[in-house]
This record gives sequence, C-alpha cells and structure tokens, in this order.
Amino acid sequence: MDESNKKDQLSRRQFVALTGGTIGLAALGSLGLMAAYTENEREVDPADFKYQENETDVLVIGSGMAGLFAAVKAHDAGAKVMMVSKGRLGSSGLTPFAKGIFAYDEKTSDYSLDEFTAMVSRSALGTNNAVYTRQMAEHSLARVNELREWGFFESNLYNKSFNVPITERNIPLIERVVITHLIKENGRIAGASGFSLDEQKIYFFTAKTVILCTGAGGFKPNGFPVCDLTHDGTVMAYQIGAKVTGKEWNDGHPGRSTNPAASYDGWGDMFDQKPSTTQIEIHHDLGVDLNYRAYKLGNPIQMGPPGQEPGQGAELDGGPFVPEEFRRSGPPGGGGERPGGEGRRGEGPGGRGPRGEGGNRERRRPPRKGDGPPGMQGSLAGGSSAGMAIHKSEGIVPINEKCESNIPGLYAAGDALGSYMAGAIYTQVGSSLAGSAVQGAVAGEAAAAFCQKVAMPVISSSTRKNIETQMLAPLKREAGYSPAWVTQTLQGIMIPNFVLYIKKESMLKAALAYIEELRDHHLPMLRAADLHELRLAHETANMIITAEMKLKASILRKESRCSHYRLDYPELDNENWRAWINIYKEEDGSMQFEKQPFGSWPEVI
Amino acid sequence: MAISKISGCIGCGTCVQSCPTDVLRLDPKSGKAIIKYVEDCQICHLCRMYCPVDAIVITPEKSIPVIVSWG
Repeated sequence: MDESNKKDQLSRRQFVALTGGTIGLAALGSLGLMAAYTENEREVDPADFKYQENETDVLVIGSGMAGLFAAVKAHDAGAKVMMVSKGRLGSSGLTPFAKGIFAYDEKTSDYSLDEFTAMVSRSALGTNNAVYTRQMAEHSLARVNELREWGFFESNLYNKSFNVPITERNIPLIERVVITHLIKENGRIAGASGFSLDEQKIYFFTAKTVILCTGAGGFKPNGFPVCDLTHDGTVMAYQIGAKVTGKEWNDGHPGRSTNPAASYDGWGDMFDQKPSTTQIEIHHDLGVDLNYRAYKLGNPIQMGPPGQEPGQGAELDGGPFVPEEFRRSGPPGGGGERPGGEGRRGEGPGGRGPRGEGGNRERRRPPRKGDGPPGMQGSLAGGSSAGMAIHKSEGIVPINEKCESNIPGLYAAGDALGSYMAGAIYTQVGSSLAGSAVQGAVAGEAAAAFCQKVAMPVISSSTRKNIETQMLAPLKREAGYSPAWVTQTLQGIMIPNFVLYIKKESMLKAALAYIEELRDHHLPMLRAADLHELRLAHETANMIITAEMKLKASILRKESRCSHYRLDYPELDNENWRAWINIYKEEDGSMQFEKQPFGSWPEVI
Repeated sequence: MAISKISGCIGCGTCVQSCPTDVLRLDPKSGKAIIKYVEDCQICHLCRMYCPVDAIVITPEKSIPVIVSWG
C-alpha cells in the first residue's frame, strides 16, 4: 500500500472518530483533501495508445441478461452484431447475483395478463408503465424456455450458459473494454468508444444502432454487489442528448451490520445457488420503510428468523404510504428483493433450497409477519444499495414499447432503460431478471429493423480527437484527485439515511451544494495512474453526475410516493405529481427537468 | 481483508476475467494471478466460484475502512 493510501485511511478514521459520521460533511472535505490531491505517479504512457476500429450494424454494450438477449435477437433478425463489456459475459453487473426469474404461463396461471398488469399498477400507485409491465409477463416464459435450452438453470455461474448462443452465432464478444463515450453524428447514433483494461488500446465502434445494456448503478456501496455499475450508460446517453428518468426513486436494500461490506456473506448461500423460476406474488416492497424505522428508532434493526416477530416490533406512526391491499401487519423487512431484484421473500429459512423451476406454484398468502430479506438474519444496517433506484425505474426514457430512446438508433434494455416496468417500487419477485431478458429481445429486434433503413454512419476525425482527449485526460494530468478519494467523499455526502432515504429540502440542497463542488472542481481534476484507475476516474465522474440528478429530481418531487419519501411532503399529491420526471441536457450544457404524465409517452420533436 | 490469498494458481486467467471490479491481474513475470487492487473488492466471491482449482481465499472484512451511513 502506498503512502497516499495510508494517509487516506488515517483521514477516514480521524473523520469517523471526530464527527461520529453525522456532522462531518465539511470535516470530511478538509481532512481528506490533504491526502487526496497529489502528483500523478503514472504507470502507463498516455502518448502510447494503439487503436482498434470496429464496424457493425448493432453494438450491444453490456453483457448481462439484457445484453445477452439483445445480441441474440438482433443477430437472429439478420443484423451484424458485436457485444462489448467492461466485465465478462454473465459475470458482471447484477445479473450474476439474480437467482429468481419470473415465468408467466397464461395457460396455467390463476391470473390473466390483464389481471396481473392491473394488480402491479395498483401496487405501483400509477408509477409503472403498464405497457412494459404487460410485455414482461407476456414474453417471460418464452425467454425462460430459451435460457433453459442453453443450460441456464444447471449452474449458479452464468458465463457458460450465456456463451452457448453467443458462440453458436459467432457473435464477436469484446470483454474488459470500458466504453466511455456514445457517439452521435448528424442527429443520430454513430457508435461508441472506450479503452481496454488490459492493454493501452482505444476502441472505436462505428455502428448503425447501439443498445445500452449497461445496467443502472449505485455509489459503489458496501454490502451489495453493484460496485461495477456506476450509471455509465445513463450518463453517456445524457451527454449526447438522451432523456433519462427515475432518479428520485430508491432501492432500500439493507445489509448486515456485521462485516457490512461482505456482499457474499450478507446474502447467505444465495450466490452459490442455481437460478429458479418465480410465479405471481405481487407486493409493495419499499425498503425505504426500513430506513424510516431506523431514522425514527435508531439502528440496528433486529430481524430475528424469518416468519417470527422481529425483536423490535414497536409500532411506528407515519412513514411511507403503503396501499391497504398490500399492507403487512408486521414491521417491514426492508427491500424485499434479493440482489438483482430476483429473490423470493419470506420463502423459508434463509431462502435456502431453491424452489424447483417450472410448475405452477402461485402463492396467494401475503408475506408473513416479520418476513426479512431472504438469507439475512441478525442486525441489519441501511445504505447497502445506496445510489440505486428501483430496478427498471431509472435510465433512458423510452419513446415507445420498443425500448427506443429519443436519439435515433439508440436503444436501451434492462436496468439501463427507465421503462417503469414494475413502477417505482418492487412489485413482482423475479420480474427484474425476466424483464431484462424480455426487453433485451425487444430492443434487439427493433434495432435490427432500424438498421435496414439507414446507411452506415461515419465518425468524423474531429469527434475522434475530442473523444480521445476526454477519455485519456485523467492519465495526462500531472496532478489531481484520486478517484477513490472523490468517490469516498461522494459516498459521505450521498449515503447517509437523511439524504436520499428520508428526504427534506434543506438537506437535499445542502448535499447538492457539495455535489456541485465535486462536479465543478474535482471531476475536472480526476487523475489516473494506470488503466484500472482510468476506469475509476470515468466511473466516479458518472456517479457525480448521477448524484446531481438524484438530488435535483428529489427536490423537485414535492410529495411522497413509493420509494421516494419526503419528510416535509409526506403525502401523495395526485393533483400535481401523477407524472414521471425526465432529465435532459440543454444545448447550453445545463441540466433540465420536465414532467411526463403517468401512462403517456414523451413528446418527440 | 476481502480477497486475501491465492494459492495453487495455474495461471488460467479466469478469475481476472470474472472479477466485476477488476481487482485481479496476471503477474507478467510469474504468469499467476495476483491481488492488485484489493481496495475495490466487493466481496462477491465470483472469482472464487469460477476458479477451476479452488485457489482463492476470501474473508468478509473490507480492506479499507467501511463507510456505512447508519447502523
């Protein structure tokens, strides 16, 4: 460990000791600053990069569940496809940890598609896009059956089964390449660009269409395996003019108070389990209600074994609204879905023993009193998934049911698409993973069709030069801020429960002032000594922009609904806020906001 | 300290590929996997689960002081 890291650690310990973690925003900045701005001790020469040119009809960015189906279906629809990922196929993002996948079979289900969609809509308080809710259910079984053919249900490790259709089709797969830029030329998508983690090489992809399957993200929180997802796709798309949405919603997964950073240990043996299917069980799982409880009564929250009364069962007035139909009698378990949003809640001790796939085992019982997150027992701590919204509630705004964005040729699927498939709340277990598969396939087919009517774009030399300059800037700086320190500072601002979970205007504005400082004076001075740190620099920048979006959207929504809870506006406001918040970049570079009424599509000029 | 030890590595590189947060690299000299960026380990165990020779040991503690907001 080098000297600067030691200093960072010391600062952190001093900070925690001195401030107790609650009044420390200013202290954090001043203590950490001394160690954070340092000379850039480069290990790679920024002047010595090679280039690789690629050309394809459809470029799929990301290699989780959405990316898999986007690539396969675009190929099968006749397009030339390439897939690029900053990780590995089936082994990055949240996909590897999602163990339940919803499979709806109309022939055997007790509910019709319309009934299912209506029930989700009631739980979601209008926040869901019913077209996407229904689409997910309608196509889920077909996708699950394809996955079964590829061997998906035979292993807890998805790389092998994901490789089956990719290899069969000879789809070029480029792994460990970090895409930093989407490219727009003449008003439509023209490709993307990024760099390799393993060699000094810049990749340019000229493409007729791009499908973002980049997931959503968090603030590299401890205790949730989401630290490689930093809203890259959302921010790249925002930078070229795409509308994004959903930034005020919050995933409220708790972690354990013992070794809170240990994602694997926190989720019991779930990561070792093979995946299985889930059936209809609709709920209204906030997560934020656990945080409200912690805010009012203090932590830790003692959960006790599933199915029994929690240790601290005191009734609590106020807090987030839960519709009567979906109300539990006991204190909240918090979160409810597993990492990746694919778990079953209250499914027995520790969620052990995957339910056999297939079969119709719909359960009508409401979750039992005191059902905790599966696999978790003992004391819980909040903040474990900080920075994430509800799956599929944040991301690129779709202009239609085909996962298309407002930028011609740009599509998104899965958690990168703000489809509001489940709404701003967790409603159906296992639907997140199923939705990624379904949307990937829809986007793949739509992108392939789009390719047939356009010529291959050209990326101009000036665009290339600008991108390269921006991409390598952290490597070229003689001195600057370490991405790790800026990320820690950002976490200190955004993760406290009184910022994004229990919101009030004064604190949101205070946090925003800090984030704007990071945006204006630290983001432009991020440094990188090697390719790993160059990735961290770009991820940190993306998290800062996301933090700004989350705070501003949270200030704007002056009501409480689903996973957005305002202490100063605790009621639903159906008169003014039956609307989603879209965010876009104005030509002058400013961040702009607009309302889009629930149940409508955006106006496209 | 998160991922803590690699013993008996055969140099196949699977763990390097499988780590979502780019913690591991192959040592250019020895050809074996090394823990290069331990502070970014999210303790998800994918590297251990993908390792064909069970060479990786992981402990539940984070390598740097953990920031939790409450609790």
